[in-house]
Amino acid sequence: MTDRGPTVIVEPSPDTPLVWFDIAIRGGAALDPHGIEGLHRHAALLARRGAGGRDRSELDSTLDGLGASIDVAVSRDAVALSGLALARHLDAVIDLAVDVLAAPAFSPDEHARLLRETPQVLDEIRDDDSALATRWFDWLCCPGHAYGRTSLGTEASLDRIERGAAVACWRREVVADNLVIGLAGDIDETSAGRIVTRLTERLPATAARDVLREVTVAPPPGRRVILVDKPDRTQAQLRLGHLAARYGGPDTAELAVAEAVLGGMFSSRLMQEIRVKRGWSYGAGCALRRSRLPHWFEIWMAAAIDVAGPAVALTLELLADYAARGPTDDEVDFARSYLIGAMPFHVATARQRMQLAVRDAVFDLPVGFTARLPEALAALAAADVRAACRRQLRPDDVVTVAVTTAEQAGEALELAGAGPLAVVAHDQY
Amino acid sequence: MRAAPWYQPPMTTSWRLDAEAQIGRGVTARRFRLDNGLGLITAVDHRAPIVALQTWYRVGSRHERPGATGMAHLFEHLMFGSTDSLPPGEFDRLVERTGGESNAATWVDWTYYRLSLPARDLALGIRLESGRMQHLVLEPTPVEAERDVVTNERRERVEDDVDGWLDEQLMAHAFTEHPYRWPTIGWMEDIRGLSLPDIRAFYRTWYAPNNATLVCVGEFDEAAVLDLVASSYGAIAPAVLPEVPRIREPEQSRERVMRAPKPIATDRLLAGYKAPGQDDADWATLEIIATLLAGCPSARLYRRLVIEREAASSVDAQLTPFRDPSLLRLAVTASRGHTADEIVAEIDRELAAMAAEPPHHAEVEKAKAIAETDFWTSLVDVDGKAEAIGHYETALGDFRKVNAIAERLAAVTDDDVARCVRSYLRTERRTVVIAEPESGRRDDDQDDDD
Repeated sequence: MTDRGPTVIVEPSPDTPLVWFDIAIRGGAALDPHGIEGLHRHAALLARRGAGGRDRSELDSTLDGLGASIDVAVSRDAVALSGLALARHLDAVIDLAVDVLAAPAFSPDEHARLLRETPQVLDEIRDDDSALATRWFDWLCCPGHAYGRTSLGTEASLDRIERGAAVACWRREVVADNLVIGLAGDIDETSAGRIVTRLTERLPATAARDVLREVTVAPPPGRRVILVDKPDRTQAQLRLGHLAARYGGPDTAELAVAEAVLGGMFSSRLMQEIRVKRGWSYGAGCALRRSRLPHWFEIWMAAAIDVAGPAVALTLELLADYAARGPTDDEVDFARSYLIGAMPFHVATARQRMQLAVRDAVFDLPVGFTARLPEALAALAAADVRAACRRQLRPDDVVTVAVTTAEQAGEALELAGAGPLAVVAHDQY
Repeated sequence: MRAAPWYQPPMTTSWRLDAEAQIGRGVTARRFRLDNGLGLITAVDHRAPIVALQTWYRVGSRHERPGATGMAHLFEHLMFGSTDSLPPGEFDRLVERTGGESNAATWVDWTYYRLSLPARDLALGIRLESGRMQHLVLEPTPVEAERDVVTNERRERVEDDVDGWLDEQLMAHAFTEHPYRWPTIGWMEDIRGLSLPDIRAFYRTWYAPNNATLVCVGEFDEAAVLDLVASSYGAIAPAVLPEVPRIREPEQSRERVMRAPKPIATDRLLAGYKAPGQDDADWATLEIIATLLAGCPSARLYRRLVIEREAASSVDAQLTPFRDPSLLRLAVTASRGHTADEIVAEIDRELAAMAAEPPHHAEVEKAKAIAETDFWTSLVDVDGKAEAIGHYETALGDFRKVNAIAERLAAVTDDDVARCVRSYLRTERRTVVIAEPESGRRDDDQDDDD
């Protein structure tokens, strides 16, 4: 921590002459006002399109001339500026990052251009079955949940984004004590300290701001299927799941094992049953989405269209059995061994260590939470994992989204035991 | 490294050290060769307790024949099956129990198998890799199961993915003779028709020590690994490798255009200009040109198409790193209300402007700075170092070309750029594939080519 309040993570490493920096601005798309979904993304991209007296073209050319980049990423929990620079150019790149944070131009022309551009991104998602399935699943898994609202926006919400709202959003949230700053690579701690000072000294130290503390909605009970109808498909891109526990909560280690056994490894149950035994899909897996608040438990696969119905039925059967019985002792041993053994791969480079620590900080988790998970995993009993499966998995309340062709797959999906089926046009959302 | 019970140090090792070079900061790669032709490249890196063990085979889709495409890629799946000593599924279980991961990739010039392992489990990886080089079991039931998986992979990546379809069609139309004309995953009817005898023959032909290079990067004792690899592979007989005909693609003299309807929102196009192989002196210059066109936010085509004209939502340029001459590719997604034909016209205008007034020095230096950043980024972790070593050793015959290509990129001059724009980015050397929304559907796919 510095006296201006940002959380700071530094991972020095002389392995390459590169420096990475991540500046996470707590808040993110979950705080978009209702009906103005896409505001945080819009504000962040607009800030990157001209700052400190440079217009978009000048800023891009200056960065490119240094062989550097500053990219914008928007998640439900944070907006992030991610930079990469050759160490010899780091000071010049940081100057540009300071301008983006403290003196963005918010050009009216770029504001209007971005509003014209964003619907094209929606088109690209609609052209990509996997991305489309995720977009629909996010929306319908738990209606009303902050994470169900699109970070990109919809055609209607984009129409409501005003430049002034983007400026206000940026000024409200880009304050020193709302930042998590990570630096990694060819940099020492003294230099990193100076950079953090430069990044924050032109920002307000603190400000009142909104932070989501809890999920206030309950998911609707029962199973349901949404068939996102798209012509000429040979497969069904499938997403099945429900609202689940928060990463960092009391069941985190238990659920990491549960996730690995069901769908986190090649040896997992879903991969074996769906791909290896039946050849129905190239891949099949599951994950608990890692976020600051409770997020989804999600299963995915892309089944051939003629087996989409049986694939959904089998998956629900596997999930129901797993929720009731949990993993065997051997499965828990195996998954624990896998997860503990895999940790060195997640922290092998300075950049990985920095990014993991930044994520933990954005999630309000204790320092080193994820890196220390192997200790919690080692202490787990199989019975703990089985109890967590019973507590956290809800096979009777699963939402299924299938991006496929209704004419070929509709009837089979209706008979899959996944609940009432609704058919929607693929470009409806 | 953990000593395995099966491991007996050989009385003598017959390794020859024949090349050495620094790969990234503080890491030296050394190439050894065993009497049976097996290559081993080691690069000790103590910065994390992990190793990347990759086995690169000099066999890719270019080594297939028409009617049996997809064979090389099918092995990417079959090689995780049972061996004489491992039951089905045991390969993955052994790797995953350590916390490691396994995967594989196939492309036109190579197939490689990747193991990421905790350092203490390197011996296990060497045992698994040597086992499946010699003792893979190819029986009808597992082969059919993997055939189903591959057909689903193809559906996901090609049939239901417009970008995969564009890629496949571009290569099929840009090449008339060279094996680069068929897709690495194979044509669907070929995948379904691959026979078990042909599959077994392919394995016996190409999966041999004299057609492979092991790449080992990470924390290990080099002397112990040399002993271990020698004892695990030393007794494997080399294969008689077939002569691979050098097929020369005829010079393209007219533009080729192909278009088809797809369930998409706006037009997409993929254009490919004939370009030299990666070892050609001009390849580095074309890589710089690709960056100047669409490799960064200030790139010429990005600015023209996305920012100034707002005719496209995305534009990308890629020079394929193939051994033989291939393509410099431009991928563009049209914005609403704009067409692929408009975009092709804009590309032509930009290239004409570039040929008439070559990029100035600062612009070329910009692309070189980006190339330098990309070079170091590719060498950040042990997997990246191993992939770079394996690719250059396998596709171009010498892993030291990792550095040679970087040096070539740094040495590109303004004149080189001007000359290569005029020589290579010519309409008659171009193939364009266009996917159009089905609302404007024509009856059939249309070829407008020669």
